[in-house]
Amino acid sequence: MERVEYGLLLAGAIICAYRAIVSKRILSSTIYLACISALISVVLFMLGATQVAVMELSVGAGLVTVLLVYALSVVGEDALDPSSVISKPLAIAVVAVVTLLLGWMIYPATQFENLMGSVDLASVLWQQRVLDVWIQIVLIFSGVMGVLGLLSERTPGKAEGGHS
Amino acid sequence: MKLTEINIILIGIVSLLGVGFYGLLITRNLIKVVMVLQILVKAVVLAFVFSGKVSGNLGLGQSIAATVIVADTIVAVVGLALAVQVRRRFGTLDAPEISTLRG
Amino acid sequence: MANILILLIIGFPWLGALIVWLIGDARPKTQHTLAVAFSLLSGISSLILLAFINSQPAIDLSLGTSFGNLTFTPDGLAVSLTVIATVVGSLAVLFSVDYMRGEAQLGRYYFMVLFFIGAMAGLVLSGNLLFTFFFWEITALCSYGLISFYNDDPKAVAGGIKALIITQVGGVGLLAGALISYANLGSFQISELLGRADTIPTAALSFIAFSFLIAAAAKSAQFPFHTWLPDAMEAPTPISALIHAATMVNAGIYLLARFYPAFESVPGWKTAVILVGVTSALITAFMALTATDLKRALAYSTVSQLGYMVYAIGAGGVLASQFHLFSHAVFKALLFLTAGSVIHAVGTRDMRRMGGLGAKMPFARNVFIIGALALAGIPIFNGFWSKELILEVGLEHSPMWAYALMLLGAGLTAFYTFRMTWMVFFGTPRETLHIHPIGLAMKISLAVLSIGTFTTWLLFGGLNGILSTSLPFHEIEAESTLEMIKAVSFAPATWFALLVVTLGLGLFFAFGRKFALSESPAWLSTLTESSFGFEPVNRFVVSLVSNGAEKLRATQTGQLNWNILAIVGALLVVLAALVWGGAL
Repeated sequence: MERVEYGLLLAGAIICAYRAIVSKRILSSTIYLACISALISVVLFMLGATQVAVMELSVGAGLVTVLLVYALSVVGEDALDPSSVISKPLAIAVVAVVTLLLGWMIYPATQFENLMGSVDLASVLWQQRVLDVWIQIVLIFSGVMGVLGLLSERTPGKAEGGHS
Repeated sequence: MKLTEINIILIGIVSLLGVGFYGLLITRNLIKVVMVLQILVKAVVLAFVFSGKVSGNLGLGQSIAATVIVADTIVAVVGLALAVQVRRRFGTLDAPEISTLRG
Repeated sequence: MANILILLIIGFPWLGALIVWLIGDARPKTQHTLAVAFSLLSGISSLILLAFINSQPAIDLSLGTSFGNLTFTPDGLAVSLTVIATVVGSLAVLFSVDYMRGEAQLGRYYFMVLFFIGAMAGLVLSGNLLFTFFFWEITALCSYGLISFYNDDPKAVAGGIKALIITQVGGVGLLAGALISYANLGSFQISELLGRADTIPTAALSFIAFSFLIAAAAKSAQFPFHTWLPDAMEAPTPISALIHAATMVNAGIYLLARFYPAFESVPGWKTAVILVGVTSALITAFMALTATDLKRALAYSTVSQLGYMVYAIGAGGVLASQFHLFSHAVFKALLFLTAGSVIHAVGTRDMRRMGGLGAKMPFARNVFIIGALALAGIPIFNGFWSKELILEVGLEHSPMWAYALMLLGAGLTAFYTFRMTWMVFFGTPRETLHIHPIGLAMKISLAVLSIGTFTTWLLFGGLNGILSTSLPFHEIEAESTLEMIKAVSFAPATWFALLVVTLGLGLFFAFGRKFALSESPAWLSTLTESSFGFEPVNRFVVSLVSNGAEKLRATQTGQLNWNILAIVGALLVVLAALVWGGAL
């Protein structure tokens, strides 16, 4: 029975997500985020998606956490997270309705048996969806530009030329 | 509705999405916005793999999930870079406050 | 070999774009030199590519079975347009050396121009509809960026926005057609669409055909989208010559020519194409009659000549339309660049203030007259042969009324061309304008183009050869230049056309010189100023988009949380609608 494991892992992830959001200290939010990543990657692993699980663990729990901590160390932590613009009851009400409807919509779509034989990730990615790989390369390039922006010490004083 | 594995995971994904939406609604700090986006995307990654699993084509689900992870990491990087530059220029990370400033 | 050449043709300008941009505006000399060098390299590569014409893809990169392959096919249609884009492109860049000397932000200018040249080559060479769309949008972006190049001038910005919005209508048409075709064929390959068009259900095929017609009309500024091109004349003149006369506006013609075999059998499609062509050609010929702005008059004549090409495709004359496209690209680039040198020299675009410039600028006068004679369809010049071919095809394969109207258009063309030439270069000077001399780079590019205007029609046999051998779906007969000359010289269509052209010229010399300077009749100017009633329609679309966006701004408080609430709220509405719809 894997039900219990799934239940516990997902419940843990949801609790971590909630804690990450309501936590007043951003650094602890970062730790919670890493925990979510770890829990989710275990779920992915149990679902059989091993490669993505590894990616999620290394990128989600590793790289992104490092980036967040670095960004926090650069800007200094604003410990105070002021109260939200939107009243919390309104936010909760909207989100609850959306979530329920979403679940209601998706539920029937998942209630059928496996029909097709699975194809492994490598062949899908490298044979069927090569365009995705290209797009990822372009994205990574823009990510590099982003890192440069993150690292640049220059204070952007004057705007660069008149793109008015 | 029996509490099968499929249903448990479904509930998990939808609740994670819900928490993420809630977080986006109440968060003001730009760096935290980036983090909440990460939470939402984790739910989405799980949903892709899960739908691949239930429809029997796990490879396709994984392929799209991998693309989403890459895209999302880049979003995080660019978002953080923006946040850092905003902080340098305006001295604050509070989204409502920034929107009333004039650069 | 062909694959390397294609990569070079697209790669040189794009690489050059990056380098010129990164060099920075502090070193304008280097920027000029590099831009010329990279565009020339691309032009030379495309000329070499002429030796490697093939109907099979030269580059075939797998994008996975879900998308079809990224292919680049050097067939006759693609390569002839690539040569036009890169060669005219390099001449325009060469011209810019003088024209843009001392302007600020050269990096942005050259980046856009070079980026455009590469994208235009990619657009015609691409064998994958998805990438055709990709390159198509890049050309639209560059066109917008260059029209609005002088971004402190509200007219330039408005013209750019107008062009962007209206060509986007075309982009949406292309994308919609491509997606429908993908849904039916499971592939974005152009060859698949051409080869298996008959397997697509009729309704879907007509949807694709008419979507592509909309795309082509918007891109080529054809009726009812013909109003963006005149406003695009706020761009620097080399850009008007390159993008808005010789290359980008041809993308629509290319699209129609490329997919003609697939859509030929769609009921009503050919008639619709003929209708679009005839209407555009005539309306804008009338508008050119009353225009007083030199560049606008040329823009109207561009739309009018593009109308001839569209008409030719509707009549089944893909070859004739491509031949005219080729001639037109050369002589219209010549006219625009000469106009640019005149405008640069005297500092105004208003033809009413010019006059008598011929004596002071003999070089500009001579090359402008060469271009004008070609535009008017006077024998020997390239415009004559190609226009006669179109009219000949029209006489044989199109309805009589369409042919008669196009013939009328030929007469009008002769009339307005001579009016334009006369207003600028002849008569007595109406104002004393200070004249700057024309630079050497300008003279070189003008000389090359005017030699081309004399001679490019001799290349008919070559063009015909590459088109007839490398387009398996088009069924174009091989014909040599000599046979074409014989056929055209003895065809009755030619004599009709010459008669009408002479009539137009006669009318001009009888009444036109007074007409040129006096106010044109009120009814005619009212009609033409409102683009025969379509300017308001277009303006409405543009103002709808920009005012709508302006009104929507009220909802964009810039408050992140409220925006998210709106997004989640919209999701809620969509979900509720879906659940409700599912429950019904």
